[in-house]
Amino acid sequence: MRNRLVNLFTAIFIKEWISLKRYPFNTISAVVTVYLVFLLFFLGYRLIGGQEAPFSSTTEGFIVGFFIWTYSIAAYSALSWGIVQEARQGTLEQLYMTPLGYERVAIYTVIANFVWSLVWVLPVLVLMMVTTGRFLHFDLITLVPLLILTIASGYGIGFITGGLGLVFKKIQAFFQILQFIFVGFIVAPADTIPLLKILPFSLGTRMIARNMIEKLPIYQMPAFDILVLVVNAVFYLLVGFFVFKLCEKVAKDRGLLGHY
Amino acid sequence: MQILQCEDLTKIYKTKKKKIHAVDHISFSINRGELVGLLGPNGAGKTTTIKSLCRLINPTSGSIVIDGTDVIRHPRTAFEKIAAVLEGNRNVYWRMSTKENLRLFAGLQGYSSRQVKTKMDGLIDLFGLRDKINTEARFLSRGMQQKLAIACALIKNTDILFLDEPTLGLDVEATYEVRRLLKEKIASEGKTILLSSHNMGVVEDVCRRVIIINHGKIVADEEIKRIKEFFQVNSYRFEVEGEINAGTQDEFTKRFLGVRFSSDKTRTEITIDLKDSMRIYEVLEILKEKGSKLLSIQNVEPDFEEIYLEMVRHEK
Repeated sequence: MRNRLVNLFTAIFIKEWISLKRYPFNTISAVVTVYLVFLLFFLGYRLIGGQEAPFSSTTEGFIVGFFIWTYSIAAYSALSWGIVQEARQGTLEQLYMTPLGYERVAIYTVIANFVWSLVWVLPVLVLMMVTTGRFLHFDLITLVPLLILTIASGYGIGFITGGLGLVFKKIQAFFQILQFIFVGFIVAPADTIPLLKILPFSLGTRMIARNMIEKLPIYQMPAFDILVLVVNAVFYLLVGFFVFKLCEKVAKDRGLLGHY
Repeated sequence: MQILQCEDLTKIYKTKKKKIHAVDHISFSINRGELVGLLGPNGAGKTTTIKSLCRLINPTSGSIVIDGTDVIRHPRTAFEKIAAVLEGNRNVYWRMSTKENLRLFAGLQGYSSRQVKTKMDGLIDLFGLRDKINTEARFLSRGMQQKLAIACALIKNTDILFLDEPTLGLDVEATYEVRRLLKEKIASEGKTILLSSHNMGVVEDVCRRVIIINHGKIVADEEIKRIKEFFQVNSYRFEVEGEINAGTQDEFTKRFLGVRFSSDKTRTEITIDLKDSMRIYEVLEILKEKGSKLLSIQNVEPDFEEIYLEMVRHEK
């Protein structure tokens, strides 16, 4: 069984890589678009007389926030648009027919996407640092787990919207609006209003910023915050998956898995 | 030995105003190694039936057992036994090459590329895809895409293959090629195949048994040979000199069922299905009355298409 799971994971991992490779225009345009939006905010804010950066007290904070926003969109799109796209192509039904379970396919897709997203998210981060001349601290031992826990809520939301997209075909306009709602979650002041820590991305962004800007390693961060971040990640993933399974049942009842 | 049992399968779609019985209490079974056609007009319930068998649609009621596994309760175990090509060329990844698609579908079944290497090579050769091994599916012809979709289902190495309209949208040559592959190669491997189509020719050519479905109900479930015998239809082709006028054509159409005409300027062929072969003399009488010069009479194979249409008409 273990070998079969490894084979399934390998197949999904390669599939995600091929999809990134075969849509070079999408990948490049994503990098360019995100970078232009960054410039628009950053330079625009300066032009109107702002001192440091929008949505943050420092330029470094703005870069971290933008980096998390980019990553969260990559994560969320992989599931929301990804599931709808598979249904439209007619391949979702084939994924469902694996004897190893669609749940595993979905989880492996999330892992593969998390890794492959770096291919275009990292260049955006480097571009932002070069543009602003502010270089952030990279401590992978702290950054990777925090990033996984922070972005997990994006996958949870992706499961919810992907599931809703299967049932309600006209929901796609909402997919784009949601990306901008993410900005609100990221800039929410979780350090001054503790209740905001339950929002997706909010606490994680603060913790990543403390690491990348203040060089604070994960083992020196408050244990309570780490616990809340873990609970937050698990909560959004579980709720997302639960809603997705509900939508999947409705889609199967209505015969919508392969309909678009 | 039965490999698939479908009992009292029902699928009702509820809309605000009404209930639609897409599949209405159908029962059938399929033996191991059998090639069965699921025939019916568009909207008859073929796709809903196949997708229910694959557990891609939740049936309203009924049971499906595949090789001893309850598909409704244990779909994953059933997926070890079944592969499906649904809606033709939409089943493969268009941005992936032939080889990449085959590897992915093997992976979905839990096989590594190494484990399926020999099988993959065999399928690539069998389906004539060797030259297109690195070509993205979107650049393949529709016929090639269809063959790739079938190859992707076959690489899963399952006992049962469901094919939903495998020749839909293909040109004549590609249709013939797919039919030939199904009949001569895949069937000879002992696979159990359930093939749905609204095309009688495909089913007649590939399958020995046919389940005719209309309005979600089974109209007939018989060997094709027996259905033909049941109707005891004898088709005769009368070849006469020159063209025949509209009045004569009307007379034939009024007096006989299943009359077809084809003509060029020098000769006309009149094909008529006759349940009672004694009525051949009536045909000759009309031809004599109209002064048509008879060139030949031939007893031809009954047209399965006509039989099928007749059955569906009766059901209505």
